[in-house]
Amino acid sequence: MAKEASNNLVETSDYIGHHLVNLTFGWCEKTSSWGFAHHQQDLSKSLDSACDVSEMGFWAFHMDTIFMSVFLGVLVFGFFGLINRSAKKGTPGKLQNFVEFVHEFIGSAVSSGYHGTSKIVAPLAFASCLWILSWNLMDLLPVEMANFFGQAGSGINYFKILPTADLNAPLALAAVVMVLVTYFSINTHGLGGFLKELFIVPLGPLEFISFVSKHVALALRLYGNLFAGEMIFILIAIMFGQFFMSFSQTLWFLPGLIMNLAWALFHILIVALQAYIFMMLTIAYLNLASTKH
Amino acid sequence: MNINATFFAELIAFCIFVFITYRYIWPSMASVLEERRKEIDEGLQAASESKRQLEEAKEESSRVIDAAKSEASTLINQAGSRADQLIDEAKEQATEEAKKIKETAESDIAQSTNKAKETLKEELSVLVVAGASKILNKEIDESANKEIVDQLIKEL
Repeated sequence: MAKEASNNLVETSDYIGHHLVNLTFGWCEKTSSWGFAHHQQDLSKSLDSACDVSEMGFWAFHMDTIFMSVFLGVLVFGFFGLINRSAKKGTPGKLQNFVEFVHEFIGSAVSSGYHGTSKIVAPLAFASCLWILSWNLMDLLPVEMANFFGQAGSGINYFKILPTADLNAPLALAAVVMVLVTYFSINTHGLGGFLKELFIVPLGPLEFISFVSKHVALALRLYGNLFAGEMIFILIAIMFGQFFMSFSQTLWFLPGLIMNLAWALFHILIVALQAYIFMMLTIAYLNLASTKH
Repeated sequence: MNINATFFAELIAFCIFVFITYRYIWPSMASVLEERRKEIDEGLQAASESKRQLEEAKEESSRVIDAAKSEASTLINQAGSRADQLIDEAKEQATEEAKKIKETAESDIAQSTNKAKETLKEELSVLVVAGASKILNKEIDESANKEIVDQLIKEL
């Protein structure tokens, strides 16, 4: 009994660990070669690296994050581009109505939040909101799906379909926002004014810390919410898994089902809300950077 | 929390998507919406304009109908009076004509009476002469008695 419990524990932590590892393609110091982390894929022996994920340094790419984010981006922006291309001047179709609704929604958010003249803010808000939303929606897909396809013979054993749960992606978006905020600030206050604001007035270098941390927080807020949501889905999935591990745990099946449904419904809110918050904060930061005060 | 080169890949991808949105998606959406807004505005204006025109046309038509009605009634009145006038004229003409015909007939009658009288006088003179000669049994010298006879005839 005790052995079974400890086995379960190992399997559970393995399961969670498996779900938190990205498909990584990187530089292995040991063999001085590029390759996928050890045992992550069975597609090609020559691409298999001797290093584990943890042994790879900075020069590693999360192929699943990159693939999913670019794929979703092409899907979303391609959709909008195609609908625009076929847009008629007369009565709009249903898809065009949707596209125009999104345009109006983001356009009104930008025009109410940003009072400057830059033409980049609205496209930036549009791109970040929709891209993040498309990422976050991946969280509503069953957590086991990617692994299911992996085991069904695609040859890829590790695949995280949620780009938001990889800190690199939100951080990249926040970095772009930070660069733009810096650019806007220098445009408005001049380089001297901006530096003075960062390091001298009113609280000395504290301002600089706040400047950096608010952009890091922008990324971490998004990452944290979605990572935690994903984690809860994984935990609920383990509850389901108990059903197969031991007959005495069968009773967990029904609560698992109910909790999964409840969390998924609640998570729809978070998914949309986090994309919206990221967009609104981007607009607010850019507005703040382009106002004289 | 493993930050690695994925960050740069995502950074580049995001910049590309923002650029695509900035260059192609956002302006084309805006222009389509702007054109639609203009079109709807024009449509609404045209609708109110045509409404106004319809109103005007209605007024105009009722005005024309009223004018036509009054004209028709005056025409009818005129026609009535004209007809009366024509009848009167015709009556007058007829009476005049009748008068003329009567006069002609009367003068004709008088003329023919006179003629008959003349003829009768002449015939009577001949008859008188013939009768007298028979009575006298003697040839009356016509030329000798002519004066007397003519006198007689004149006295008739």
